Amino acid sequence: MRSYIAFTKKEILEYVRTFKMMILVIVFLILGFMSPVTAKYTPEIIDKFMPQGMNITLPEPTILDSWTQFFKNITQLALIVIVIMFSGLIANELSRGTLVNMLTKGMPRRTVILAKFTSAGLIWTICYWLAFAVTLFYSELFWDDTKVLNLGIAALCVWFFGLLLIGTLLLGGVLFNNYYGSLLLAGVLVVAMLIISMLHSAAKYSPYKLVSFNMELLEGTAEVSEVYAPLGIAAGILVIFMVAGIAVFDKKKI
Amino acid sequence: MDILKIKGLAKRFGSQEVLKDVCFSVPEHSIYGFIGQNGAGKTTTMKIILGLLKRDEGSIEVCGEEATYGQTRTNHSIGYLPDVPEYYSFMNPGEYLQLSGEITGMDKQKITAKSQDLLNLVGLDTSAKKRIGGFSRGMKQRLGIAQALLNEPRLLICDEPTSALDPIGRKEILDILRTVRERTTVLFSTHILTDVERICDRAAILHDGRIAVTGRMAELKEEHGTDSLEIEFTESPERGEFQRICPVNIADKIEDIDPVTICIHADEIEKVQTELFGIMYEHNLMPLGIRRKKPSLENLFMEVVK
Repeated sequence: MRSYIAFTKKEILEYVRTFKMMILVIVFLILGFMSPVTAKYTPEIIDKFMPQGMNITLPEPTILDSWTQFFKNITQLALIVIVIMFSGLIANELSRGTLVNMLTKGMPRRTVILAKFTSAGLIWTICYWLAFAVTLFYSELFWDDTKVLNLGIAALCVWFFGLLLIGTLLLGGVLFNNYYGSLLLAGVLVVAMLIISMLHSAAKYSPYKLVSFNMELLEGTAEVSEVYAPLGIAAGILVIFMVAGIAVFDKKKI
Repeated sequence: MDILKIKGLAKRFGSQEVLKDVCFSVPEHSIYGFIGQNGAGKTTTMKIILGLLKRDEGSIEVCGEEATYGQTRTNHSIGYLPDVPEYYSFMNPGEYLQLSGEITGMDKQKITAKSQDLLNLVGLDTSAKKRIGGFSRGMKQRLGIAQALLNEPRLLICDEPTSALDPIGRKEILDILRTVRERTTVLFSTHILTDVERICDRAAILHDGRIAVTGRMAELKEEHGTDSLEIEFTESPERGEFQRICPVNIADKIEDIDPVTICIHADEIEKVQTELFGIMYEHNLMPLGIRRKKPSLENLFMEVVK
């Protein structure tokens, strides 16, 4: 347990000192801020740039537009940033040989996997909820009618999808020893889930729903119970990936 | 007591048989030189001891416990210094030792005291607050010894600790290794023979996948090397004259060093020397110099790898 805490601390120190943490926080702050602002001011900006005499009437923006922007930004931009940031999670240490000193001191190998998942997960959690908080703050500020359905559960789904991606990157790194392995496995997983979500019969089980279903939840056109199956399956995949990652890493040539 | 016992160790990489049948044991509190050419399999052997590589055959015991591949408990008794140690460059030596101590489960006070002690020992106490990223190779090597000794291992394994260093850096590392022998047992691999002669009390030569010779340094030289006699003449005709009058069967081998010097190898060199003195006196041959040479590790090594 002590080695797990010590190694997690080292990971976080690394994110702080190599400025990765700062970059991520800035990116997520910008995303969190941009979502309500673009939702609120896009009609005004379009109006300003319209040639004189031309007139289009845009519907008055609502708080739902703000959250539409938020989920669009997070699922498209932020998840890509996360994947790029964490693709070298294991590969970096394996290629540089920095783990040799740690493992030859008798540190359990599974500690490496668990600590890396914890620290990356923690950073994703902080950044994600930070962006969420900023969007929430400005949305409350800009609109009087702030009623949004199922916001918590919709946000939770995206957060969990991020954790699943981190677990996938870890397993990819352990299996292939490099960045490309991590990126490849994450890509394969996303494409596979996308294909499943297109199949009529299996669509409701695809974890891809976690990132594609949020607007239906907010608008109230879907039931909360519909996310239980994809959420459960995502959790299952994550557990399997972690166990597999540990098992493979235990027998790895370092 | 033997800290490390290796029996019948074999390892293949594809079709290449790197280790065929390696057997040796390292007694407690010795400095054991593990000698071999580049590519002889020294690093492979060490990595197998540490569970970083899988062996094909054989057994390895560290402090009486069997070492296994992957997660191995025996690593708790081992300190390891890789040939090119890699660190987290964003940390300073103090932080790195702190991390190393915490992952091995040492308590906080002990880590602080021990880190200070070891940083003093390896001469990094003044750089304790500098980031490792800016360290020279020699400094990294010294930090490597400090981190390897942190959890008071019973066996310190160093993989070519001096190969990449300048003469001063080498001397520093060798001095440190000599000082730590009271605390632990050292197994260190190298192809620099003078290093072995300077600090080791035992050695093994790895050649062609097997241990060719092993034992105490003095015994090794005694048993395997022969004494020799180097005779230098003023000019080459004198040397020719000497070779003409010298009985053919007097020595095991007569070697040409340069146009005016020869080297005579024989088991009973003193007897040969007396005889040669007589012959040279008789023929009025006055060499410039005659020197008795003790067997060196280099001769022994050359003989083994020939």
